[in-house]
Amino acid sequence: MKKYFQEFVRGIIKENPTFVLVLGLCPTLAVSTSVRNGIGMGVAATFVLLGSNIIVSLIRNIVPDKIRIPCFIVIIATFVTIAEMMMKAYSPVLDRALGIYVPLIVVNCMVLGRAEAYASKQTVIKSFFDGLGMGVGFTLALILISGIREFLGAGTLLGHSLIKGFHPVFLLGMPPGALLVIGLLLGFFNLLKNRKA
Amino acid sequence: MNAAQFLTIFISAVFVHNVILSRFLGLCSFVAISKETKPALAMSMAVMFVITMSSIITWFIYRFLLVPFGLTYLRTISFILVIATFVQFVEMVVRKTSPALYRLFGIYLPLITVNCAVLGVAVLNVDMFFLDNKAVPGSFYYSLFQGICVGLGYGLAMLLMSGIRERLELCNIPKAMKDFPLAFISASIMSLSFFGFNGFRF
Amino acid sequence: MKDRLIVSISPHLHKEESISKIMWMVVLSLIPSGAAGVFIFGLSALWVILLGIITALITEAALQLLTKGKISIMDGSAFLTGLLLAYNLPPKAPFWLPIVGSFFAIAIGKQIFGGLGQNIFNPALVGRVFLMASWPKHMTTFIAPQNYDAVTSATPLAMLKEGKLLEKLSYLDLFLGKRGGCIGEVCILALLLGALFLLLKGYISWHIPVTYIVTTGVFAYIFGLKGLFTGDWLFHILTGGLILGAFFMATDYVTSPLTRKGQIIFGIGCGLITAIIRLWGGYPEGASYAILMMNAATPIIDRFTRNRIYGTR
Repeated sequence: MKKYFQEFVRGIIKENPTFVLVLGLCPTLAVSTSVRNGIGMGVAATFVLLGSNIIVSLIRNIVPDKIRIPCFIVIIATFVTIAEMMMKAYSPVLDRALGIYVPLIVVNCMVLGRAEAYASKQTVIKSFFDGLGMGVGFTLALILISGIREFLGAGTLLGHSLIKGFHPVFLLGMPPGALLVIGLLLGFFNLLKNRKA
Repeated sequence: MNAAQFLTIFISAVFVHNVILSRFLGLCSFVAISKETKPALAMSMAVMFVITMSSIITWFIYRFLLVPFGLTYLRTISFILVIATFVQFVEMVVRKTSPALYRLFGIYLPLITVNCAVLGVAVLNVDMFFLDNKAVPGSFYYSLFQGICVGLGYGLAMLLMSGIRERLELCNIPKAMKDFPLAFISASIMSLSFFGFNGFRF
Repeated sequence: MKDRLIVSISPHLHKEESISKIMWMVVLSLIPSGAAGVFIFGLSALWVILLGIITALITEAALQLLTKGKISIMDGSAFLTGLLLAYNLPPKAPFWLPIVGSFFAIAIGKQIFGGLGQNIFNPALVGRVFLMASWPKHMTTFIAPQNYDAVTSATPLAMLKEGKLLEKLSYLDLFLGKRGGCIGEVCILALLLGALFLLLKGYISWHIPVTYIVTTGVFAYIFGLKGLFTGDWLFHILTGGLILGAFFMATDYVTSPLTRKGQIIFGIGCGLITAIIRLWGGYPEGASYAILMMNAATPIIDRFTRNRIYGTR
């Protein structure tokens, strides 16, 4: 059991897809304008990761090596389509907010990267926990970034306004703000790493 | 369909909604390959070519296959398959016919399959130029032109960024900010300056 | 003589000119327009300027302490950044605006890149566009000139954008600064005095400012109004931040090209972008965006206009 737990935790801190592996940044930056969008994106990506990791791991011995990448892409695209349709059906507001970034989970390097580097070589249960860990790590990173951007950029958190008389920094809600926040956060984590070393 | 609309698409795709700096598509390749000017240019050329071609192909597929048969929910899956196949095909052709061209940008082709910019533009075209599953007048030309412009925007951002990063190599940057962090911050300021074209109306 | 005074990365020629002397000279040349701004808009403008400068100096010192670098706030560069930023603010800006802007300019625009001489973008402009994007309302609330019988508080370019008539403003009014606008940009006469001083002393060369201003003027003349070749070019040159930007910010040694050819390309690029934003963009004024965009292009321009070393290809 401990082994599986390690697989799970690894994705959250030591190999955090956003801050350590620097993968899958397009959705991270594009949708992190509010915490709600961030969580929505995180859950959708986690769902796709879990599904694709399990299926890829199940068929890992059947698929010929040469065409494995196209196969993985089809599997991922299937799950993305499912996520897209579910979102359209149950949360049209979120679907509109996330826009083209939901179909773009297909080309999120994080998902394909895990399928290729991990799930295609490991057992189903391990792949499941790997996918779960990566997904949770991704979601947490999204919550962190979108929390900073929503708080400073709009003066709210999850839609509730917090401080009276605060002039929100509009910039952080806009694309340059996303790049700025991720740059500063990456620098900050580097600083922590250097301190430790 | 008139010149002003095309100009608006141009300014929007190249500056205001620059694929990389504003839509964040193709960001991975942007930070990975923009360290030097030459590879950055080669990659941009490859991306421009693939985006333009895939805009054309996906438009035909959407217009003549998915819409008539009511299969629009297969958009994502069919687009990515077509793009992947097309890129693979181009890579094979280039490798067989022109080793020089292959050395120039062929090695970047496999990377482009999973470049979100390509799929992103295809999806965007469909979102923007099809209303209720019906092509707006001139939608083919708009799609094609938007593909070209997005490619140009990608190239512009790549070119500027590679120049900046080449210069930053020589600088005495705080250790924690080296590489990725500073690249993102430079990109942020660039994106901020492109804001100047916001609200462009001809 | 003039040519030798251009500072390039790693200055190999020794002169008694030092970076800090040049910086203080630029500061000196900017004093007339600041004084004019304070005279025109009243004492609140002076507070904005002082807050901008003090914050810039404190931020620079604090960051250099944190990174254990040499503290060099007396070299005048942080002073100049704070001053230029304040010149780009409206005279009645709330007190926190110059503080936040100066902090951002020094921290993100300069120190993160490793300090003086290594920044890609002009720090003062980075601060300005940051403020512009974050608090557009505070950045565009101008007051009417106090010591003239003021016509209006809106800037002429903003009125032009809204399609209002400008008959009440003569060119002389614009030249002397009888209009709404940012603190340091309104009095063209004072700016030109400072610029003349820098040009005569050889601290800046004419290439960037002249190409910049001429390009903007010509473009505005050709496309400024409905018919071609009927635009009001003099109006476009005398309003907005064009003169301030062209002489004092586009010429920044660190962020503009090194070669003559590069500088001319830089100037033309700035002029084109400024004019395009003014005529068709969403903002009334585009000088700061234009200069920043060309700053981003500077490394590439330098790369392609490098002087050929004799005997190489």
